[in-house]
Amino acid sequence: MQTKGRFDPNSPAIKAYEQELAHQFVREGTMVAFPMCLPGMTTQITHDECRITALDINSDGHIYGGTSGRQAHLFAAAFHDLTGVVLDVGVVPDGTNSVAVCCGRSRAVAFVNGARGGRAIAIPKIDLAQDWIQEWGLDPSILQDLGECVPGEPVVHAICDASRSTVIGITTGHLFTMDAESGNVTVIGEVSGRGHLAMSSSAVFGQDEGARLWHFDLASGKIRRAAVDLPKGEWTGALRWARGGDPDQLLTADASGQLFSFDGNKGFRLLGRAHLAPVGPMAMIPDGRLFGFCGAEMANLFCCDTIPGNVSNLGVAASVLEQRRYGYQFGDAVTGPDGEIVFGEDDNDGHLWLYFPKIKRVPRTPV
Amino acid sequence: MITGQDIDRRTFMKLGGTALAAGLVPALEAEPRPAGEAPYPVKWYPFTGHPDSDTCWSLSVGPDGRIYAAACAESVPGGVVKPVRYNEERDDLDYLFDLAEMVDDPGTSGRATQCKIHYSFAPSMHDGVLYMATHLSGPPIDLPRYSPWYSWHDAKRCFRGSALLAFDTRNDRVLWWDTLIPKEGCRCLLHDEERGLLYAMSYPRDHFIIYDLHTRKGRDIGRISSINPQALFLDKQHRVWTSGDYGRLVRYTPDTDRLEISPGLLAHDVNYQTGWHSVFYDVAPSPDRECVYASTWCPNPHLMRIWPNEGEWPRVEDLGPATQPRDPTFPIDMFTDHCGGLTFAGDGKLYYVASRWRDPKYNPMPGTGKQLQGVVWRLDSQTLAREEVTQLKHPTGVANYVSRGAVDHNGDLFFGHVGNHPSGIFKVSMPAERKKKNAHLPIRMWG
Repeated sequence: MQTKGRFDPNSPAIKAYEQELAHQFVREGTMVAFPMCLPGMTTQITHDECRITALDINSDGHIYGGTSGRQAHLFAAAFHDLTGVVLDVGVVPDGTNSVAVCCGRSRAVAFVNGARGGRAIAIPKIDLAQDWIQEWGLDPSILQDLGECVPGEPVVHAICDASRSTVIGITTGHLFTMDAESGNVTVIGEVSGRGHLAMSSSAVFGQDEGARLWHFDLASGKIRRAAVDLPKGEWTGALRWARGGDPDQLLTADASGQLFSFDGNKGFRLLGRAHLAPVGPMAMIPDGRLFGFCGAEMANLFCCDTIPGNVSNLGVAASVLEQRRYGYQFGDAVTGPDGEIVFGEDDNDGHLWLYFPKIKRVPRTPV
Repeated sequence: MITGQDIDRRTFMKLGGTALAAGLVPALEAEPRPAGEAPYPVKWYPFTGHPDSDTCWSLSVGPDGRIYAAACAESVPGGVVKPVRYNEERDDLDYLFDLAEMVDDPGTSGRATQCKIHYSFAPSMHDGVLYMATHLSGPPIDLPRYSPWYSWHDAKRCFRGSALLAFDTRNDRVLWWDTLIPKEGCRCLLHDEERGLLYAMSYPRDHFIIYDLHTRKGRDIGRISSINPQALFLDKQHRVWTSGDYGRLVRYTPDTDRLEISPGLLAHDVNYQTGWHSVFYDVAPSPDRECVYASTWCPNPHLMRIWPNEGEWPRVEDLGPATQPRDPTFPIDMFTDHCGGLTFAGDGKLYYVASRWRDPKYNPMPGTGKQLQGVVWRLDSQTLAREEVTQLKHPTGVANYVSRGAVDHNGDLFFGHVGNHPSGIFKVSMPAERKKKNAHLPIRMWG
């Protein structure tokens, strides 16, 4: 029996569908998948050791990160000036899962789980500001194992304070701080070790039992359990956060994809809902737009313009510059110095994906 | 046949001296076969029993030595695939079943359909079963097109998944079916019969999948790349090989349960290509199983001979371009510049089909012939000399894009073809002196 299409090809619905298909990848802006190497000069990090799960950016605009997989690697990357390079700084012995990287003032500290527990690994500051077009020179860097953070407990997440001198981290059962320069760890107390941490101007928030947040005051060193009630939503998943436009603004999502802004003083505000859940890594750019990925297995990029509060689907990630590649799963994100976002691809042969958002049209008044 | 003196320096540089020395001249218009040489008569078998059919992506020899092909219908909304078999008594095709109905996923489901089998027939010799796995792309019955990226999260539209079906060729019964890869299609399939494992590549995510035939459970080993390789092959150590985006071999080793990437590149034109997109198109094992012959899914496809049982990483011999020179400043249509249908025949020679086309500068063929031709080549694996033995002829349409080739138990050649509607297969009868019974053995275990 010959099958026939049961549709009118000229109907508005079919024409709209065709339009949607024509723009199913990166509907706005440009994505560039950058390989984990100095392209054309060094080998990439081995594909099954290159799921990029942790990123941070330092005050020079250089990115430090960690991978997960058969072996965890720590790396440094830069994309401005004459750079365009990712350096594999080294493998963490017995490490398989990088959960956080924190850029301190003079070095970065990575937190990596594996057969030897949840360990802190110092990455020395790397001289990336060179002429990577023509002539460069540096010695391989040595990673320094700072030891287990809390014996027997994997690290869940860690962040740096605003001064970049103190790292605040959680394991599966404890909150700890670390002096970024000395590597000395202080266990503060017990917390529910779930989800990512969020840093406002003076406090750290983490996911507590039930639909609540705990609060850690950096100045006093006190933890306040169940300090903040989460708003109405599905709070079953592990929380992820992005920093907002001002020091006290934070952004998060519930398990259904609802996006919220949070201010320790003003509470939560619903911004909208991503079209898929769960919501993965997100980052905000200076004009107030929040970009992130949503959906499992084949994530979609979304944009939440936090000022009017609308959310749009920007489709599946694809790169046609530098590397031709689809992007399906992402592990972390940071905002670069010029408002670009760098996403870490949490997949075999993960790349660093630079996203250059579409420039917003600004109404101009003739002089 | 032209000689090295007959082509200009630019052409020579494109080909490389070794290709010429080996007799691997480009597929320019060949001179007519000298009288008295063995003829290779060609016959076309359209899928008239499945008029929706628009492609034939799979053609394999079954465990019974007969030829099976997939009458695929991927451009028709609601289209489904029907496996067919060449009936040598009737000299015609038998339509075996509607696969979509057989796996309870009819073309009217509203989802993307079970529209094709894409290099995914794999025989099982001990029990006469032919495994087949479906692929996606056919649109739902009420939509003009389907995108697996767009509809991934749409429960109503998303492809249910690649259906794996076990067909008993001894009594023409479907024994069982299962979903091999949820939500994704199966680009290519391989059977390691000694270990009872099927291997597959998923589309669109390009994941490497293992299916245990004893437990009927699948396992996802992870992503390889973005460009789907079109073939898998097996070596003597039960390792499974394919390729990645940048022209590197990808190897799965069961003992380590790990995918590894080769440091070296597959063959490509080093004058203007980097290795990108040099993924396998077709791979045929040598009769002694010591090496394989392969072509790439890439403009200006190269033929290769690969020795997987040697060394840490195999020796890859570039046997030169399979198709003619062309203008490298323009990206040629991949349905024009193509090589597939690699198979050894009873005479111990490798047969394959490479396209040839009229090009005012690089191949000014006489205007009487078709613009696009499908040339059947015969490669001597000892001397690496190759000769054109015939051209595929379609009564009205094209004959240049062959997906797969196989030899049946009578020793004749068959080629699946893409590009006509209805689609179909070609039979190329082997000359009596080059023909051998059971020429399909030892059988190829992948699609």
